[in-house]
Amino acid sequence: MTPSPVSDKSGQTMTTNRIALVIGSGSVKCAAALGLMKVLEHENIAVNMVVGCSGGALYAAAIALGWPVERAVEATLRMWTNDITAKKNRRALLQLVLPGLFKFDETFGLIDDGLINRRLREGYQGTTFSDAKIPLYITATDLYNGDQVVLSEGDIANAIRASISIPYIFPPHKLNERYMVDGYQSDPLPIGVAIREGADLIIAMGFESPYQERITSLMRYNLQVSSVTSNNLLKTNFAFHNLAHHAEIIPILPEFKHRIKLFDTDKLPYVIEEGERAAEAQLPYIKKLLNG
Amino acid sequence: MNIQDIQKNGVTVVQFSGSIDALTAPAITEHLGGLISSGQIRLVVDLGGVDFTSSAGLRLLLGAVKDARAGGGDLRLAAVQPDVMKVLKISGFTNILKLFENVDDAVASFG
Repeated sequence: MTPSPVSDKSGQTMTTNRIALVIGSGSVKCAAALGLMKVLEHENIAVNMVVGCSGGALYAAAIALGWPVERAVEATLRMWTNDITAKKNRRALLQLVLPGLFKFDETFGLIDDGLINRRLREGYQGTTFSDAKIPLYITATDLYNGDQVVLSEGDIANAIRASISIPYIFPPHKLNERYMVDGYQSDPLPIGVAIREGADLIIAMGFESPYQERITSLMRYNLQVSSVTSNNLLKTNFAFHNLAHHAEIIPILPEFKHRIKLFDTDKLPYVIEEGERAAEAQLPYIKKLLNG
Repeated sequence: MNIQDIQKNGVTVVQFSGSIDALTAPAITEHLGGLISSGQIRLVVDLGGVDFTSSAGLRLLLGAVKDARAGGGDLRLAAVQPDVMKVLKISGFTNILKLFENVDDAVASFG
């Protein structure tokens, strides 16, 4: 990779390389991407595209829309509170007990998604992919054939909703006549999208799913199985993409000493700080690569 | 980048420091390739001084280990530092490469 650094009108470092930021699944931990963006902005390193999956989609959208960190944090605090899972989907419970009678189908989800849908609509205020300042790609998974679905047009809130459809918990999201489940089901760190879109330098922030300390319920059992699968999927896809890409993938893997649970939004400042720390650790290499 | 070879009990220990990335990978690839093609296929790469690897590092390691094994030898890693270990783990490389805490153990593993 032999980039030729130049400065654009805003003073940001531009190179002949296309830089992509890929944010993997990881619920609240994905806010670490805001810390990473703070570091890149401070160094005047411009990103040319953003790819997000599951929780990462929330922040990929915020970054692509040009939201300042404070606004992204504020939006997360407003949208992502534990009451979004408070209302159970009664029909789903009945479908579990009497699947024939209550017509079990692909819309199954234990949680009523009315509130999360409303929160996303309010949070992203009808913005579409064409409102993004840089190209934005959000990934989900087709429930019927397992294909990764890359969403890059239409309503952003809708795309995020599809990308965060945690199986069993939220009902799959019907979009473009397809039932979509969480993006992590096809690739927890969708570097392949950035490769396909022509990125050279790919900054990939990924997270392993946490394992349960004890398995005491069906839900915890489900989360555990899901973590086992997604972590193995993360590794195999990450290896494949690293070997397949013609140029550079810089992994940014924040470490959290404290366990971050699904709705630990009170830990956002800590998460962002860790993202910043992890990005700063790799900054010398990013700069070295950009400067040739 | 300064690359150094040390011979220990019939094993070639390759040492270098800094980062393995797109800028440094070509020199390392060429060096390892030269060793393997000259028949030095029992290799230990001492990563004690390496604090970063990108995808370029993974690609070169995989290429070299395949060539060494194809010739009946192996390439083993020693003293992998925490940040590099994270990348090796998340890419599944710890499942296909033999890693040792230090160079002596890696050399001894060749028997």
